[in-house]
Amino acid sequence: MDAFLVALLNGLVYGLLVFMVSAGLTLVFGMMGVLNFAHASFYMLGAYAAFLSGRYVGFWGGLVVATLAVGLVGLFSERLLLRKVRSFGHTQELLLTYGLFFMIEEVVKLLFGPTPVAYRVPDELRFTAFTIGNSQFPFFRLLMGATALVMFFGTFAALRFTRIGLIVRAAVERPQMVSALGHNVPIVFSGLFAVGSALAGLAGAVAGMYYPTSPAMAHELGSIVFVVVVIGGLGSLNGALAASLLIGVMTSFAVGIESTFGDLFRALGLSGLALPGLEAVQFSSIAGVLPYALMLFVLLWRPAGFAGNRA
Amino acid sequence: MPPQEQSPRSSARVTVVRILPIALVLGALIGLPRFADMAFLNAMVMVCIAALYAMGYNLLWGQAGLISFGHATYFAFGASCTIMTMAAIEGGSSFPTPLLPLAGGAASFLMGLVAGWFATIRTGVYFAMITVAITELVRAIVQRWDSMFGGEAGITSIRMAWGPIGFQKLLDVYYFTLAWTIIGILLLWFLQRSPLGTVIRGIREQEERVRFLGYDTHALKTLVFAISAGVSGMAGGLLAFTNESTNVALYEGAYSTTVLINTVIGGAGVFLGPVVGATLTTLFGYYVANLTYYWLLYMGLLFMVIVVYAPRGISGLGVDAVRRLRSGAPVRWDLLGRFALGWLVVTIGAIMTIELIGAVVQPSYGALARSSGVAWPPVRVFWVSWSPASPLTLGGIALLFGLGAVLLRDTAGTASRNVSTLADAIAGKPGPGV
Repeated sequence: MDAFLVALLNGLVYGLLVFMVSAGLTLVFGMMGVLNFAHASFYMLGAYAAFLSGRYVGFWGGLVVATLAVGLVGLFSERLLLRKVRSFGHTQELLLTYGLFFMIEEVVKLLFGPTPVAYRVPDELRFTAFTIGNSQFPFFRLLMGATALVMFFGTFAALRFTRIGLIVRAAVERPQMVSALGHNVPIVFSGLFAVGSALAGLAGAVAGMYYPTSPAMAHELGSIVFVVVVIGGLGSLNGALAASLLIGVMTSFAVGIESTFGDLFRALGLSGLALPGLEAVQFSSIAGVLPYALMLFVLLWRPAGFAGNRA
Repeated sequence: MPPQEQSPRSSARVTVVRILPIALVLGALIGLPRFADMAFLNAMVMVCIAALYAMGYNLLWGQAGLISFGHATYFAFGASCTIMTMAAIEGGSSFPTPLLPLAGGAASFLMGLVAGWFATIRTGVYFAMITVAITELVRAIVQRWDSMFGGEAGITSIRMAWGPIGFQKLLDVYYFTLAWTIIGILLLWFLQRSPLGTVIRGIREQEERVRFLGYDTHALKTLVFAISAGVSGMAGGLLAFTNESTNVALYEGAYSTTVLINTVIGGAGVFLGPVVGATLTTLFGYYVANLTYYWLLYMGLLFMVIVVYAPRGISGLGVDAVRRLRSGAPVRWDLLGRFALGWLVVTIGAIMTIELIGAVVQPSYGALARSSGVAWPPVRVFWVSWSPASPLTLGGIALLFGLGAVLLRDTAGTASRNVSTLADAIAGKPGPGV
């Protein structure tokens, strides 16, 4: 039972982290149909920005600097690059953000080298928040989860109760109509793009301390975030939240399973089905496969995703 | 999506104009081993493989309008299955060695049927995301399944002789790769010209109408995906044949990126565009990788410049230029000259910036500064030593960028106007500033 609770908590924290990055992506996507390939790169930039600035302004200052800096990077990418290719259509936008994804990784490699940098949890935050049974739950994980929760409720409230939130929600659904009503959709979009990037940067600043801060960060999270957007459905925050939590919890539990594929085949009475070498592979070692398998399943069952109504 | 050039002409003169360059290139490729050294011949083998891979990839993009961001899977799977077949031949199987790429192609075709069925449930950006996810799925499995795919160490085998052909010399490998590349490209050419090709382009333009005509568009898209995967797998098979080994690293994202970059740089809208891109970047890598650590960064910059300023790639520019010449309109040499000069100075400025920053952030540079007692030890770029922090260096770089901005202002247009590109300069259309 204790192990179950710990796995559940770990899964929820990871899921919330994934959600922090997916939220901006799915909103931007819903509003302008732009899939930002570089969104996960902004997450990586957040970690590096916090690492760099943390030396001078401390841990909490680093979080603020990373959020603002990455937000600015997002704003400039949208206004200086993405707008140039808008008239060529979505394909060209997609290619541009893919180029950005590639370039950011190469620039980070140029500046910081290909190996992880020493961005660690500060000593004053290294303590146990509480214990479940005999496993200790570190405070820092709690902080990661709390950051994501604050962000979720903040975004939710901003979208639900403010005037600008109303315009954003309307623009996600019917951009032309909102524009026809006299709102400056491109400006709203720039703002949304910047805020989405800033949130990804904050997520990176928090997560980079816990997971290795390396140029591979963007690639690792990026594909998971895509899965979340496909599963969650177009432009849906709720769908993204559900998909993120599901993936987090599933992965977390799968890591704890000690069975092998051989056990599965025997349980199914298929021990004759001896694929070479697959028998000895443990489920836990391929926990990373689960999100993608889930995506294929959802595609079959509900191609538009959990909350999507537009195909 | 730029439509493919599809204007069949009957005039014999046009046929000669179209056939002659291809015949010349083919002749040069066949005669190449007489003049080239081993290293260059090796590079040309890689060019052929990259070209076939990009052509297979572009069947999906240029014809069906679907951009895959995870084609490495099919390339790598073709390589894996070819090397396994090679190992089987070594073990006494009677599979004929010259048909080895077909083994890889067939395997990737089957895998493409399954993956493509899932991926083509959705179109557009969703399709793109699903291809990324499928690649991650396959990679996660392959990297754990060591007994099948060889893990980090990979699988090695040797090319067994077949009849009189030994396949031991590089010359044999070169002609073998060249022949299969040409076969693959011809296959794609006839496919594009076939009724199936027409229907597929119809799906790209108006899927709903094609469905109304009674076609099962999902099945057709799956088929195109599988053929594209199969040709990419053939290219992967050629790589395995050449290297006599494969590695699970082939399944990584870098190989999906390369083929995408090749296709964009070459141009997806012209049949042989991807070959242009693959040739250019492979040879670029061959010559430049020795000169700089940051050649991938330069590739990325070139990619971005093409996406923003020449959306139809290099071959698209070529098509525009030919059209312009045929129409008999005067060439605007003044515009083209400013354009070329502008990009030249900007390129030099960018190279200076990247190389200087790259040198200064190295840990060894800090050590050098401490040991030599100089705050900013000089760095060599373009055969000259530069002091990275001196006003002369920084001012020079700023001057290059400023000059470039002035030269390109009228031809390239500005960000907000978003009108003029290199294509416009070639077409003689002045930018909004003129």
